[in-house]
Amino acid sequence: MSAPAIAAFDLAKNFGDTHALQGLDLQVEEGQIVGCLGPNGAGKTTMIRLLLGLLVPSRGRAEIFGLDTRRQTVAAHRRLAYVPGEANLWPSLSGAETLRLLGNVHGQVDLTYQAELIERFNLDTTKRVRALSKGNRQKLILVAALMTRAELLILDEPTSGLDPLMEQAFRQCILEAKERGQSVLLSSHILSEVEALCDRIAILRSGALVEMGTMAQLRHLSALTVEATFEVDVPDVAKVPGVSMIEVQGRTLRCQVRGSIEPLLAMLAHSGVQELLSHEPSLEELFLSHYGAPLVEATHGPDEK
Amino acid sequence: MARTKNSPEVDATPVTSNSPSTVIARLSARTSVRAGVGWGLVFGFYVATQALTYATTYKTAASRHILVQEFGNNAGISALVGPAIRIDTVPGFTSWKCLTVLAIMGAVWGILTSTKLTRGEEDAGRWELLLAGRVTRRSAAQQALVGMSAGALGLFVSTALIITAVGHSSKVNIGVGSALCFSLAVAGGALMFLVIGALCAQLSTSRRQAISFASAVLGVSYAIRMVADSGSGLSWLRWITPLGWIEEMRPLTSPRLWVLAPVAALVAVLGAGTILLAGRRDVGAGTLPDRSTLSSVRRLPTSPWGLAVYLSRGTLLAWGGSIVAYGLLLGSIAKSGGKMITASSSLRNDFARLGISGAEAYLSVAYLLMAVVLSFVAVGQVNAARKEESGGLLENLLVRPFSRVSWLTQRIALATAVLALGGVLAGLSTWVGAAREHADVPLSSMFDAGLNVAVPALLIFGVGVLALAVVPRMVSVVTYAVLVWFLLVEILGSVVTANHWILDLSGYHQMAAAPAVAVNWSANAVMIALAVGAAGLGVLRFNRRDVKGE
Repeated sequence: MSAPAIAAFDLAKNFGDTHALQGLDLQVEEGQIVGCLGPNGAGKTTMIRLLLGLLVPSRGRAEIFGLDTRRQTVAAHRRLAYVPGEANLWPSLSGAETLRLLGNVHGQVDLTYQAELIERFNLDTTKRVRALSKGNRQKLILVAALMTRAELLILDEPTSGLDPLMEQAFRQCILEAKERGQSVLLSSHILSEVEALCDRIAILRSGALVEMGTMAQLRHLSALTVEATFEVDVPDVAKVPGVSMIEVQGRTLRCQVRGSIEPLLAMLAHSGVQELLSHEPSLEELFLSHYGAPLVEATHGPDEK
Repeated sequence: MARTKNSPEVDATPVTSNSPSTVIARLSARTSVRAGVGWGLVFGFYVATQALTYATTYKTAASRHILVQEFGNNAGISALVGPAIRIDTVPGFTSWKCLTVLAIMGAVWGILTSTKLTRGEEDAGRWELLLAGRVTRRSAAQQALVGMSAGALGLFVSTALIITAVGHSSKVNIGVGSALCFSLAVAGGALMFLVIGALCAQLSTSRRQAISFASAVLGVSYAIRMVADSGSGLSWLRWITPLGWIEEMRPLTSPRLWVLAPVAALVAVLGAGTILLAGRRDVGAGTLPDRSTLSSVRRLPTSPWGLAVYLSRGTLLAWGGSIVAYGLLLGSIAKSGGKMITASSSLRNDFARLGISGAEAYLSVAYLLMAVVLSFVAVGQVNAARKEESGGLLENLLVRPFSRVSWLTQRIALATAVLALGGVLAGLSTWVGAAREHADVPLSSMFDAGLNVAVPALLIFGVGVLALAVVPRMVSVVTYAVLVWFLLVEILGSVVTANHWILDLSGYHQMAAAPAVAVNWSANAVMIALAVGAAGLGVLRFNRRDVKGE
C-alpha cells in the first residue's frame, strides 16, 4: 500500500509559552480532499507551515507520501504545491515572469493547463505584481500552484480576496484535481466551500484536533433539530432523553435531539402533532457547536441529564 | 429619538488629546530629529578631528606653506572637494576638508529621510489609515515636510554645538559666527535635498524609484560643481547647483549669509510643489506614468540565484561604481598625498630604506576607508538575505523543491564573488589612477592590496550569516556592531595604547597595511577560516530553525 499523502504523528509546536499545536495526529489518504476548520489562532497555519518544513516541530514529526518533512524536504516538495493565504511576490516582476520563475523552481509545469488556468481565472499576466490587487495576486499564486499538477495541494485559505465568480472557478479546479487523483488539504473559513469540496473534515481548536470525520460522521455526533407544531398545547418534552435547547413559541416547539430520536417520537405520537420538521445540522451549526461548545454545555448542562 | 441615542457615540471624546491634524508632523519629527541629531554629532566630530589634526600636524608656517604649494592650485583635488582657499589657516583647511564631504553626506541623509518618511510610509500602507481619517493628502505631505525640517534643525543644532565648542580651543580658533554659518551651510544642504527627495517621492511609484531620482539630482549637482571648480573658467556654473551655493557661502573663511536666499527659494518652491503634487495624485501611485504593464515577458533569469543577481543589479552597480570612483580618486592623489607624508625627512628615510614609495605609504593609510566601503557591501549583502526571508519572498522558493541550504550557500557564493570582485576593482582602479599620475605603484601590489581589504569584509559577512541563522531579527544590529567595532578599535588603537588582545579582535587591525607592507596572507587565512567557519555553522543552524517574518 502506498504511503498516505499527509501523515502527522504527535506533531506539536510551541512559540515560547504559547502551545500553537499540541500533539496533532492527522492522515490524508491519497486522492482525498480534507478540509481543515478552526477559529483564528486554532493552529491551522502552524500545522501547514510544519508540514511544509518552514517551522521546526517542538515534538513529533510529519511525512508527505512517506517522506520526512524535515530530512527529505526537497523530495517531499517535488510532490506538492502550496498556496498561502497572502501572496508575497516580487513586486517588479510581471505575472508571466513570476509564473516562469516559480515554474522553473518547481521543475514541472503543464503549460497547456497553465494557459487554461490563466484564461479561467481571467488573469492579466502582463501586469507587474505591484500593480495587482490582492485578489489578482491571489489568483496568480493559485495558478502557480495548480499549473504544476502536483500530487498534493496544500491550500491555506486560498480564496481570500477572490470574488464569487473566481471562487467558483477555484472549486471547479479542485474537483478536477480530485478526479485526477490529486490529494488536497484545504484550510478555510468559508464553510460552504469546505462542505462542497471535502471528503473529510478536521476541526482544530486551541492547537488540538477536536473532531475528524466525514460530514455524515460529524452529523451523527451532533444533534438533530426538530420543529413540531401541535393542534392544541405543546407537551413538556424536557424529561425526554437526549432532548436539549427547547424553545416554545405559541403552539410550536423547537428542540435538539442527540442520539436516538425514538423516545421523542413516541411522546409526540400521543400529543396531536400537526406538522413535523427535522433537519440535520449544517456545517455551520456543527462548527459553531464545536467552537462554542463550553458555552452551550454550561448553559444547557442540566437539560442533558 | 434615535439621534439622541446615537449622539454620544458620534461625539465621543477623542481617545487621545493630540489633535489628529498634526499626527504625521509629530511622527516625522520624532524619527527625523533623532537621526538628524545623530548625524549632526558625527558631522561635528568629523569637523573637530580635521581641525585638531591640522592644528597639531602643521604647527609651523613653513609646513603650512608646503601644503599650500602642494594643493593650493591643484585643479584635480579642487574638482573633487572644492578650491583650497586659505588652507594655511585652520578654518580654511577645515572648510576645504569638510564642507563638500559633509554637504554630500547631509544630502544623502536628506534623501534617505524624506523618501522613507513620505513614500516609504505610504508604501508600507501606514499613511492609508491616517488618510482614511481626517488628514488630507496635501496636509499629510505638508506635515511630513514640517516634521522633517525639524530633523534638519536637529542636525544644525548638534553640528553647531560641537564646532562652537571645538572652535573655542586656542589651537583651532573658529569663531561662533563662523561655526554657526558652517553648520547652517551643511544643514541647508541637507534641507534642500530633503525637499528634493520629498518631491521625487511624489513623482515616483516607490521609495526605491524616488531614491534613484533624487540621487541622480545629487549626482548631476556634484558633476556641475566639479566642472565649475576644475579651473576651466566656468566657475559661474557654481551658481546653478545646490552644492555650489553651499560652497559659495564660504562659511569658515568669509561667511556670506545672503547666499542662503537661493537655498530658501529652492526649499520654498520645491516644498510647495511637493504639497501640490501630493494633493493631485492617487495614494500609492506616482505622478509620472508607471509602466505597470509589460507587453512582453522579459528574458529574466529564472533561477533563484540569477534572480537575486538581477534584482540587486542596481545596488551592486552603484557600489561597484563608487569603489571604482574612490579607487581612481585615491590613485590620482596618491603621489601628492605621499609627498605630504614624506615631507618629514625622517619618515622619508625610513620609507626609502624599506623600498616604499610615498604613494604606497599614502595608499596604505587611505585603504582603511576602502576596507570600510567593502565592509558596508558585506553588511548590505547579509541584510538583503534577511530581508528576503522577513518579507516572505524566500518562502516562495522554500515551499518548492528548493532547499534552505541551497539558498543560503548561493547567497554566500554571491556575496563572496561580489566582495572579491569589489577588491579587484578597488586595486585595479587605484592602480589606473596612480599610473595616470605616474606614481610609483606596481600593479601586483595594488592587486594584492585590493584583495586584502576584502578579507575583513568577508569576516563581517561570515559573522552576519551566523547571526542570520541564530538571531535572525538582530542581523542588522550585529553586522553594523561588528563593523563599528573593527573601525573603532583600529582608529582608537592607533591613538591610545590599547591592550593587544583588544586590538587583535579588530579585523582591520589584523589586516596588513598594504600596499606599503606585503599582504599578511597567514593573518588573512585565519580571518578567512573564521569567516568560513562562522558561515558554515550558520548554514547548519539555519536548516534547524523556523523561517521567521519580521
